[in-house]
Amino acid sequence: MLNVRELHVSYGGIRALRGVSLEVNEGEIVTIIGANGAGKSTLLNTISGFLKPAKGELEFKGHKLGRQPAKIVQLGICHVPEGRLVFTNLTVRDNLLLGAYLRTDRKAIAADLEKVYALFPRLKERERQLAGTLSGGEQQMLAMGRALMTDGQLVLMDEPSLGLAPLLVKTVFEIIVEIRKLGKTILLVEQNAFKALEVADRAYVLEQGKVVKSGRACDIAQDPAVRAAYLGSKSVAGGM
Amino acid sequence: MVQFLQQLVNGLSIGSVYALMAVGYSLVYSIMNFSNFAHGAVIMLGAYFGFYSLTLLRLPFGVSFVLAAVGTGLVAVLLERLAYKPLRERRAPFLYFIITAMGASIFIENLVVATIGPTYKTYPAVFGQGPIQLGALSIGRIDLTMFVVSAISLTALMIFIDRTKMGKAIQASAYNMKASALMGINTDRVIIIVFALGGALAGVAGVLFGMKYLVYPQIGNITNKSFIAAVFGGLGSLPGALIGSVLLALIETFVSGYLSSQYRDLIGFVILIAMLVVRPTGIMGKSAEDKA
Ligand SMILES: Nc1ncnc2c1ncn2[C@@H]1O[C@H](COP(=O)(O)OP(=O)(O)OP(=O)(O)O)[C@@H](O)[C@H]1O
Ligand SMILES: [Mg+2]
Repeated sequence: MLNVRELHVSYGGIRALRGVSLEVNEGEIVTIIGANGAGKSTLLNTISGFLKPAKGELEFKGHKLGRQPAKIVQLGICHVPEGRLVFTNLTVRDNLLLGAYLRTDRKAIAADLEKVYALFPRLKERERQLAGTLSGGEQQMLAMGRALMTDGQLVLMDEPSLGLAPLLVKTVFEIIVEIRKLGKTILLVEQNAFKALEVADRAYVLEQGKVVKSGRACDIAQDPAVRAAYLGSKSVAGGM
Repeated sequence: MVQFLQQLVNGLSIGSVYALMAVGYSLVYSIMNFSNFAHGAVIMLGAYFGFYSLTLLRLPFGVSFVLAAVGTGLVAVLLERLAYKPLRERRAPFLYFIITAMGASIFIENLVVATIGPTYKTYPAVFGQGPIQLGALSIGRIDLTMFVVSAISLTALMIFIDRTKMGKAIQASAYNMKASALMGINTDRVIIIVFALGGALAGVAGVLFGMKYLVYPQIGNITNKSFIAAVFGGLGSLPGALIGSVLLALIETFVSGYLSSQYRDLIGFVILIAMLVVRPTGIMGKSAEDKA
């Protein structure tokens, strides 16, 4: 579904991605794990059309991806950005409806809104509230719901569990699995490698702008080097 | 009491036109985070467009308004495309935008001086003579027109921003450009619309000021007032621009009425500075964290 080939991206002189290749197939949850500054957000922002690659190719369902974010949304890629970026000055409902900005079929939009409310009952309760008044966890759910409203088939998620209490982290990962059940494909960027590897089918390990390992999530979770670097002393087997 | 009411009426009339100009500053600021100091030049062009529609083309009063609004809307969009878009694409620091805006303003003003000339022009009398008497109150016909036309234009703007899909897209982009692009919103188009709206309202304000006072190349300096009003109310907030404008105008008319008109502008700037010291975000402005 998504093909990234030999992607190089720099910020001025800083080389953030140095030849990243990966693929995501329909229906998969693929995770990219890596430390701070590894280039995870850079990769997602490049896929979404915000950054210009110095080299390399991006292809989604046979279409080459350019540098127009709105077009990329139209092709069916949605992005839950790092830091959520919900529209704090608008209501929860307006946030969700903005997700459907490019869509015109009112019935389908209304149906999807109900689906999102079913997935996040909290949002339904707070429909008329300004998004800025929501808690961090609720804002994360709103950011996910808003992305789902675009009806994109591929959902990019940038550290959805960042800054949330452990209980909410658990909820977020459960929701990710639920989202896949809605028929979505997910590319999940996480620092919480332990949890991410639990829900993912396949994983890529990104270090300093390069993919250093890739494979089935369960194999990566058992890899001694990965366990030492990203999983600390936590027992992976126990969590699976 | 009569004097008080009279000042109130005058204040509301001037304040409504300040608001018409202030929302132009606020709209652009909310999206692009810089104060478009070329706004005054656009208002000046509006005054000339209205003047020539009435005198040269001999168009009716209402049509002249529309023509001036369309003309200045186009000028504002052109300004964005030619001057600001290249800066945006290069991600230039905001100081460059301000310098460019000032340069554009000087350019337009001098272009008018060079082509039309520096002389003052008087709008033809479009209204009957004499003020309207309301008991002891007398309301100038032009003042009444200023209030009514401004109120209608501002209401239309508010409805557009609050009720339409594009209006919501403008609000979303004001919060965060990246997030709104992730919704599929074409942020470049949002910027064009914002300049067109601000420009059109500037044209209406230009015609109103041309009618009330005179037309001359420096008439755009009057936007200093609406800039103060926009900062006072909170740059980037439309309700703030309205409240700030009306408050500033009321304070000005009361100062002129009860103290002396010599203090009027002084007070305006004192308010601006006091506001910046006490509450830099203005009455309704976005706080720094909102804008993060
Ligand atoms: N706007 C920018 N300008 C300059 N350098 C940047 C910019 N954004 C990111 N970088 C650099 O690019 C590299 C990759 O950053 P990126 O944000 O993609 O990392 P990340 O893996 O998402 O990290 P985190 O887990 O902290 O979010 C880092 O070295 C970072 O300092
Ligand atoms: Mg990141």
